[in-house]
Amino acid sequence: MMAAGLIDGWVEALLALVLVTGAFIVSRRDLHSLVFAYTIQSLFLVFIALLLYLAHPSEVLLSIALLTLSSKVLLIPYTIKRIQKQIKISRDVEFHYISPTGSLFVTILLFLFVYYSFSGVIGGLFTADKISYTGAVFGVSLMLMGMLVTFSRKKVITKIIGYLTMENGVLLFGLFLTELPLIIEVLIIIDLIIMVLLVTILAAGMDSTMEEFHNRLHIFRRED
Amino acid sequence: MNLSFIAYCFINIIFAALVSPFFMGIVKKVKALAQGRMGPPLMQQYYNLLKLFRKEALYSTDSSWVTRVAPYVNITVIATAALCVPLVFIPEAAYGISNVIVFLYLLATARFFMALSGLDAGSAFGGMGSSREMSISSVIEPVTIVVFAALAFIFNTLNLHEMFRESAGQVHLFDPSLVLISIPLFIVLIVETARIPVDNPETHLELTMIHEAMMIEYSGRDLALMDLSHAMKQTLLMAVLINIIFPWGIATEMGVAGIISAAAGFLLKGAALSAFIGLFESSLAKMRFFLVPNLIMIAFFLSALAILLEVFR
Amino acid sequence: MLTVLFYIGLLLLFFGAVAPAIFFRGGKNQRRLSLALMAISASLLFVFASDVIYENQEVSMTVYRILPSFYFSFFIDRLSAFFILTISVVSFGVAIYSTQYIEYHKNDIRNNILVFLMGLFILSMLLVVSSANTFSFLFFWETMSLTSFLLVMFAYENEETRKAGIFYFIMTQLSGVFLFTGFFMLYLSSGSFDISAASIDPAIMAPVFLCLFLGFSIKAGVVPFHKWLPYAHPASPSNISALMSGVMIKVAVYGLMRFVIFVLEPQLWWGVLILVAGTLSAILGIIYAMKEHDIKRLLAFSSIENIGIIMIGFGLYIIFSLNNLEDLAMLSLLGALFHTLNHAIFKSLLFLTAGSVVNATGIRNIEYMGGLIHRMPKTALLFFIGAASISALPPLNGFVGELLIFQSMMQSHYLTDTLMQVLVIICLAVFALTSALAAACFVKAFGTVFLALPRSQKVEKANEVGMHMLLGPSVLAASCIFLGLSATWLFSKAGYYPQIPDMGVLGAIMAAAFLAIFGIVWVVSSHRTRDVETWRCGIRRGDGWFEYTATGFSQPIMNIFRSVYRTREDYRRTFFDRSSVIFRDGRAEIHLLNFFEVYIYLPIAGFISRVAMVMYRLHNGKLDTYLYYTFITIIILLVSMRWLA
Repeated sequence: MMAAGLIDGWVEALLALVLVTGAFIVSRRDLHSLVFAYTIQSLFLVFIALLLYLAHPSEVLLSIALLTLSSKVLLIPYTIKRIQKQIKISRDVEFHYISPTGSLFVTILLFLFVYYSFSGVIGGLFTADKISYTGAVFGVSLMLMGMLVTFSRKKVITKIIGYLTMENGVLLFGLFLTELPLIIEVLIIIDLIIMVLLVTILAAGMDSTMEEFHNRLHIFRRED
Repeated sequence: MNLSFIAYCFINIIFAALVSPFFMGIVKKVKALAQGRMGPPLMQQYYNLLKLFRKEALYSTDSSWVTRVAPYVNITVIATAALCVPLVFIPEAAYGISNVIVFLYLLATARFFMALSGLDAGSAFGGMGSSREMSISSVIEPVTIVVFAALAFIFNTLNLHEMFRESAGQVHLFDPSLVLISIPLFIVLIVETARIPVDNPETHLELTMIHEAMMIEYSGRDLALMDLSHAMKQTLLMAVLINIIFPWGIATEMGVAGIISAAAGFLLKGAALSAFIGLFESSLAKMRFFLVPNLIMIAFFLSALAILLEVFR
Repeated sequence: MLTVLFYIGLLLLFFGAVAPAIFFRGGKNQRRLSLALMAISASLLFVFASDVIYENQEVSMTVYRILPSFYFSFFIDRLSAFFILTISVVSFGVAIYSTQYIEYHKNDIRNNILVFLMGLFILSMLLVVSSANTFSFLFFWETMSLTSFLLVMFAYENEETRKAGIFYFIMTQLSGVFLFTGFFMLYLSSGSFDISAASIDPAIMAPVFLCLFLGFSIKAGVVPFHKWLPYAHPASPSNISALMSGVMIKVAVYGLMRFVIFVLEPQLWWGVLILVAGTLSAILGIIYAMKEHDIKRLLAFSSIENIGIIMIGFGLYIIFSLNNLEDLAMLSLLGALFHTLNHAIFKSLLFLTAGSVVNATGIRNIEYMGGLIHRMPKTALLFFIGAASISALPPLNGFVGELLIFQSMMQSHYLTDTLMQVLVIICLAVFALTSALAAACFVKAFGTVFLALPRSQKVEKANEVGMHMLLGPSVLAASCIFLGLSATWLFSKAGYYPQIPDMGVLGAIMAAAFLAIFGIVWVVSSHRTRDVETWRCGIRRGDGWFEYTATGFSQPIMNIFRSVYRTREDYRRTFFDRSSVIFRDGRAEIHLLNFFEVYIYLPIAGFISRVAMVMYRLHNGKLDTYLYYTFITIIILLVSMRWLA
């Protein structure tokens, strides 16, 4: 059995690494490493859940870990890779509103901002249960980073990765703060939605950017 | 000055100078093996240095005393910096020389002189190298400082010797926050020693010209000194990393047996880290120059997180 | 007894200054005598100031009473003495340098005026820092502003100089207005002009601070009030630039320190404001210096950076001392003060040597220089020492100042407030970037001015300057080295024991290592050398433009920080065909926008000139109209008097 302080330390380190994978997703251009970063991120989440299980044994945590492992580490990355093979997009070079380096800077500020605003809302938690507080802050920061990706990238597939990152953030937040059984249900639903989205990409050929897709839809209509 | 400190000076500098080419050799060997080549023998770096010391030195007619002085200054400041980072044993008092800032600024001094010597001969290549080196080193500096500030926060001291002493006395394996810091520290090591995603030490191509380009006009003993100081710098940065995350084996007081075992231990640990560096280099491609700030930004992000976690503790 | 030294010093300085004004047709020798007097007085004041600092004594005197409450009185404690010391060291070097430098102009009368104004300028700076009441402070402050304005206008035939001079004058008067307002509020509250911690109404503390902060930071060149520096410095003669950049902007630092520490009661947000303003000036100053090709403007921007560093140290002092961290507060204040002295010395050294270069070549653009190390070897060495020192290379003095500030920042975990810790860490990261960029900037400056081949005819024909123009900077260069090596010793003599490395030992180790390595290499290696030509890709004897120029050198940094530079790119292209495929010709331009000028200064200037237009219409030049105005004014005054009373 590990000491509680050490577990907390490792959870913190893993949280930081999760955020770094988030930073990777925000700033990298090639889809390959984006997916890779996402996979690693999910894997870290699994580790965090397991560490939390070590500290407070409960089956829910274990099942969260299992669910995350199966869906986010294995299934979704695999599906995305298959899609990539079909649509032959390997990089998303364009950025809206913000440059990659700038977005990294913004993420640091985001983290500070979330920390600051949380210290006003749930500051009491900080003294009571520090690790939960930190986890919540990291979760929300990760969510915001995902959001950053969804609006700063052009290609649908990157947008989806951003969306997935957001979801990971929510999961992280939930792991530390909410009622546990609730998250599992939410997780399953979100995963289902994403799978549906991914299948849509495959089926409808919504492969590049939203605008192009719309254009193509119009062309279809005209042909009708 | 007491005797133990003087002994420490000699032992540390000479040991650093002796092992550095070996680590360079290991990196080269591992890279060659990863590429499916035999690679040079491990001792090749030593032969190279000996050969260079025996050859004549060429000086451009357009160059000045800067070119002639720079190799000596470089090796001097790196040797002085070697006092900040104990490789085998940690002396009791060091007149505060083991200060983090002193260490970093000694490295900066070496860089300053090297960049000037690159400009001195009036060749376009040297200028390109200096310009890029100074740019990269400027953007990596905040990362370096924040990483060391994080270390200062954790160990509650600015003295590298004390940091190492405390980390050597630590009980459990791998303190998580130190592991977290070791990642940006590793990136700093890669950037400062001009390794692959940033620079390619093997080539003299225009695209990768950073470190090698600055030294393009050097030959003979000057080149040997430059190479040696570069290798020593790498050893020192490696030693910082090793002493912080894997410090066991370093002697905390002077004694012959302790020093010998510590030296052997450091050799092993350093060889392992060099092999890792070799593998790391082999697994990546050279980055486009203007993408390097992006990498550095990620390193900064990590170091900032590490220090923020310390702050919020 | 030592107070006598102070008087004699001031008197000599006064005579030195006034003599050329009286005998304004006097020749070279008379000016030499004046400047020699200034140098002697500087050394006397140096002795006096170091005595006050090391004996920790205080000197006060009332000199002249105009009216019961308006009088000149002086008070010298350690802080004032420290600034007197700074001024005296720099003016010593500058006085020696000037004996030859000013003779480049052949006009006797103008040279005499230059010497006169220079002496008066130094004198007024000395009296500002030793003033004991706000009246004499403001009086000498304005004298300082006025003389420096006239000195900036020295080459008034030049259109650009006139522009720079007027700009400087407006800014400096603005600073004066803020100071006056602040002092007046102080007077209203405490009822006396004395600079002392009298009972001040806490409610006016913040407005007084803001007024003084604005006034002093305009003079010190803190971003965003820095715009006058890069105009005024290149316009003025180099010895004057050295004085202005070396000491005049430090006088503003003195003012801020004096009033914040001794008169007002600092609040935490003052410290934060000063720290943030300092960090901003530091980083923006050096980023702008990086792109600059005019050597004197480059140095001016670098002054903005260094003022920023001093402000960082001072801001940290306030933050730490309000958190009861006495050791750290002392460390950062010591850092700020030591950096003040250091910057005064190496910046004036750099300005003086840059002046030598400009005089020897006749150009200021470093793009056209190069290769001067072979033509002016001694000047090159002196400039090199300055550059190494400003880049904070150990064991020179620039390093010690930055070391102290870095150390205090890296121990910010003693602060209890997490937000404050985060702020200090952010500033630490920015400060590190600044310091590294400063090294890059001075590699660029030294490299493109002195190294490689000359890039223009004028530079090829340059010759080494005369003895005095080397001697003056040499004094400053020697003090750079001395202050670096003996820093620890000096601090302990003054009674401060900061936890810093023993610089003497560090220097000794470096020297020993250098000698040992040199010896070993000498014994071991071959001694053969051969002269060859630089490889220039097959071109045999390339001209200087083949090598890396200043633009080329700074390009990567310009690219990395392009969002800071606010570049605008214009492309105008014409094509042969309508679908823009076959290219005919085109023109591409990259403009660097002056952010502060375009977005802050010009709108304000525009507003003022619109107001002035309205005023102009009111002035129609008829006597009756003015009488009418007077009449209305009196009526308004009467009404308001009734209303106020």
